[in-house]
Amino acid sequence: MTAVLQLESITKSYGGVRALDSLSLEVAPGEVLGVIGPNGAGKSTLIGVIGGALTPNSGTVTFDGRDISKLSSADRARLGIGRTYQIPRPFTRMTVADNVRLAATNSGHHISQRELEPFVAGILERLGLTPFAEEVAGKLPLLRRKRLELARALALKPRVLLLDEIGAGLVRSETEELIAIIQSLRTEVESMVLIEHVMDVISQCCDRTAVLDFGKMVTIDETPKVLADPVVASLYLGSVAESADAVVVDEDKRAGIRASLTSLVSVATSVPGTPLLAVDDIWVRYGGLNALKGVSLSVNAGECIALLGANGAGKTTMARSLAGAVPLTSGTISFAGKSIAGLRPDEVTALGIAQCMEGRKIFGTLSIEENLIAGGLDARKHVKAERLEAVYSIFPILKQRRKNSGTALSGGQQQMLAIGRALMSAPTLLVFDEISLGLSPIAVDEVYEALGAIRDSGVAMIVVEQSVDRALGLADRAMVLGQGEITLEGKPAELLADARLLSSYLG
Amino acid sequence: MNSIDPVGLANTVLGGALLGGLIALSAVGLSLVLGVMKLVNLMHGQIVVLGAYAAFYLAAFWGISPLLALPIVFVLGFAFTAPVQHFILAPVAKHGEEAGLLTTFALAIILENLFIRFFSGDSRSLDTAFSRETLAIGPINLPTIYLIGFAISLTVCLAVWMLVTRTSFGRSLRASSEDPISAAIVGIHVSRVRWGTFALNGGLASMGGVLIALCFSFTPSSGSEYLLTAFAIIVLGGLGNIMGTFVGGIALGVIQSLGAYFFGDGYRTFVGLVMLIILLAIAPNGILKRRRSL
Amino acid sequence: MKNGISILLSRIATPTRVGPRDFIIVAVLAAIAFAVPYFAGTYQQEVGFRILQLGALAAAWNIAAGYTGLVSLGSAAFFGIGVYTMAIASNAGLPIALCVVLAAGVAGLFALIVSPALFRLRGLYFTVGTLALAEAMRIFVVNSPWFGGQAGIYLTARAPKAYDLYWIALLIAVFVVVCVLLLLRSRWSYRMQAVRDDEDVASQLGVRTYRTKLWAFGLSGALIAIVGSIQALNQGIVQPNGGFGMSWTIDIVSVAIIGGMGTKVGPWVGAVFIVLLGEFLIQFPEIHLAVVGVVLVLVIRFMPNGIWGTLTLALQKNRNFS
Repeated sequence: MTAVLQLESITKSYGGVRALDSLSLEVAPGEVLGVIGPNGAGKSTLIGVIGGALTPNSGTVTFDGRDISKLSSADRARLGIGRTYQIPRPFTRMTVADNVRLAATNSGHHISQRELEPFVAGILERLGLTPFAEEVAGKLPLLRRKRLELARALALKPRVLLLDEIGAGLVRSETEELIAIIQSLRTEVESMVLIEHVMDVISQCCDRTAVLDFGKMVTIDETPKVLADPVVASLYLGSVAESADAVVVDEDKRAGIRASLTSLVSVATSVPGTPLLAVDDIWVRYGGLNALKGVSLSVNAGECIALLGANGAGKTTMARSLAGAVPLTSGTISFAGKSIAGLRPDEVTALGIAQCMEGRKIFGTLSIEENLIAGGLDARKHVKAERLEAVYSIFPILKQRRKNSGTALSGGQQQMLAIGRALMSAPTLLVFDEISLGLSPIAVDEVYEALGAIRDSGVAMIVVEQSVDRALGLADRAMVLGQGEITLEGKPAELLADARLLSSYLG
Repeated sequence: MNSIDPVGLANTVLGGALLGGLIALSAVGLSLVLGVMKLVNLMHGQIVVLGAYAAFYLAAFWGISPLLALPIVFVLGFAFTAPVQHFILAPVAKHGEEAGLLTTFALAIILENLFIRFFSGDSRSLDTAFSRETLAIGPINLPTIYLIGFAISLTVCLAVWMLVTRTSFGRSLRASSEDPISAAIVGIHVSRVRWGTFALNGGLASMGGVLIALCFSFTPSSGSEYLLTAFAIIVLGGLGNIMGTFVGGIALGVIQSLGAYFFGDGYRTFVGLVMLIILLAIAPNGILKRRRSL
Repeated sequence: MKNGISILLSRIATPTRVGPRDFIIVAVLAAIAFAVPYFAGTYQQEVGFRILQLGALAAAWNIAAGYTGLVSLGSAAFFGIGVYTMAIASNAGLPIALCVVLAAGVAGLFALIVSPALFRLRGLYFTVGTLALAEAMRIFVVNSPWFGGQAGIYLTARAPKAYDLYWIALLIAVFVVVCVLLLLRSRWSYRMQAVRDDEDVASQLGVRTYRTKLWAFGLSGALIAIVGSIQALNQGIVQPNGGFGMSWTIDIVSVAIIGGMGTKVGPWVGAVFIVLLGEFLIQFPEIHLAVVGVVLVLVIRFMPNGIWGTLTLALQKNRNFS
């Protein structure tokens, strides 16, 4: 039996980072293939390459025995490749029905004006969108947007359907509805590729599952086998076997770092009864999606909190709302007794909350040294120089290359730069957002060693992580976010022993 | 015109290069604004014209020589544009980039018509002691004012380059133009940077207007031509690249002068515009991808 | 009853729904407008001509800018093509009706020729590209030997009477409206809006985005050129700064934005507003455009959907709450 869809040694790089690294994959007729892997593994890039939105650097895509590598995405859609987006992208100013009509009238199948309306009505009915047909799509909440994504893709009458994280951000009952819809599609869509973090969807829908990491295929096999594979669990949770105590500690180096850190962090004096940071019932809503649904947490002076959760659980939204970069829909945040809700990000930073952002966000047009200085703009000149030297003594590599562009560093070094930049404001509270993301294990070791030293300096920290064991090895307390709410909370040891932790990742 | 006269051609090329370098001053701020504010500033040309009028009236009423007036014109341009950003452009930023673009378009209409109302539609020009002098280098005769203007433009462009690459404001500017949200989280007051950039552009463009008016006459309606010339220069020089803008100006000056030499003086601007369209079209994925580090 | 009226109004106002009722409304309005010269004077006919002219221009511009997201500041190029085609073709002895068709054809061809360069530009850069294009056209016509230079070309055709002009403008306005309505009824309507809202997703759903943009841009330009060709008849002389002048772009953009981009009715509301404002300020011609600019700034800031769009939204809210 020949494959419907075949990818041959696809490589796609973004400025030096290989999102896909000579990846080959086949999708058989009648098959539903799941694709899983940690954040940044290259899953969405894979869909982009198949759908034609992204042009790979090398490799070919074959559909139904025909090389489609050179076709535009419109022509691929007309051949019968439909896709949905992870974050739904409806045509916001068009009505729901018009969104579907558009796809129906541009597919490779001719549809007469008489057939069109019943066809569109049928699809809307099937996805439960009939009552909203004449509403402007921009007004829909997330679940209906996701359904609209699916409706539009179906209106193409696709032979192959690519679904990008259709379950992300939905509550369980909504996910179950989606699973039922996907299962019902098996009869009319030849094959499907599902990218998912919600393991329920994978286990209930997919015949085979492929696991990606760093753009490479880790394994591909029948779904139950893959999900039972310990390698897969360790990809998500990190392997507990080689935790922090295996690292050889150089005491002299530690002492040096500790000395340097004294000028880089402000240790808050703990006031009994009032936490340093108090987040009270915050809601964040954007694009029809409730990213945070009433989250409350507190961080005491000198405390290190781990904030865990799967992709799409709301971790980064949490970090961003602490930074003032995301407006709160409701709720309050107070820091050192002062309300910070509604402040601009730079005002929040000036008050003493520094962020190490997800994706590092190093400025490529600035040199390494300038990146660091940008983190401590408010300080006086000699203070700045002193802090700069302190950062350099912690991360000597940054000093060696201080004149180079910030993005000329490797991923791990860029992460060090991001940490250094956050330290330059001598913060009272440090927020680390997904700092192990996309780093090699060795680089993660190095970064976490630095984090350990920073924690020991007595500054308060929030470590937002997907990689559970690392964060738990560091934290005094941990909480798990799931779909915008805190689902678990406790001491690291308790959490590790709790079976619900794994299920919050793997479903 | 049938046979090419080598001296005439050399004169044209050199004169064009000097003139282009001179005009580059009016363009250098435009690319900063484009980078930091993601705004195509359609009132840019009118700010250039405003600078020319400021120098004209400073000379007419107080007898201040246009070259000596440059610092005053800078301050005036800066002071005029700062509130425009703060009170008019910043509030519409939330409606999307189209709203900002069309607002600057409306402001351009307003300014142009106010110029006509208050300064009359007459064609004006600026005079200095050197205006009619030329400098002979061998067989080549170059207007002295071109040389002076070139030197001034080069000096100011270097100063802007130093500002952008060596100072704290410059760092904030580059960081804000690369990723405004991350810049804000790192602690940069991005809206202040935008404000400063827009006003800086106002000052620079006004000074550029003085230099242009020393070489050509101008009218209240010259703005759109200045805007498009400035745009062609920054596209040629690479967006966000300060010294590239200066070199781009020289290149455009040479191209325009050659166009004028071969097709007639009326085609000077036309050649530049055609080149702008071609450049916009051949730069892959539009010109934004051409951003280089400074 | 009140509810019924607001539903009816909001249905008319829904930008892209086009039903037989729309055509009936247009027919009724056109019939009323047709009768105007029988009971109004020359002055009223001239004002009417101006409203019809600007409304038709803005409605044509709206096809590209409002529905397809191609915000062009190069309308003067198409207008000028219409003006000059009429002058040259009618002086060559072609019948006027054929000259109008020819104007549309030349404009469409022009759109086809410049599209490979222009459509590589997205968003703001497209806008700047079109602005440069219009300026380039103007300067080219001034300097090239074929178009009479700055002095321009006199039309040999007899200048039509005010009421003739009015009726021609009415005919063309109705034509533009019918074109827009038919377009909005067709499948191009979804394609255009999809390209406007998210070009990448549109492509992923099978829309050939280049072709869609070319249709919208070409049709918009051809309709603008038709209106331009009538302007040549009106003036009796064509000149580069009149035909290719920025003032046409300014008029078109202000009318469309003040009325409401991406709405069927907006351009006509805007045209009435701008023309009446012009008549009101007739004593102060020098500040007229500056006032238009100020109105534009205020509308963009406080009524980003224009007069008609804001009205529509208010009615829809009203309906939702009742």
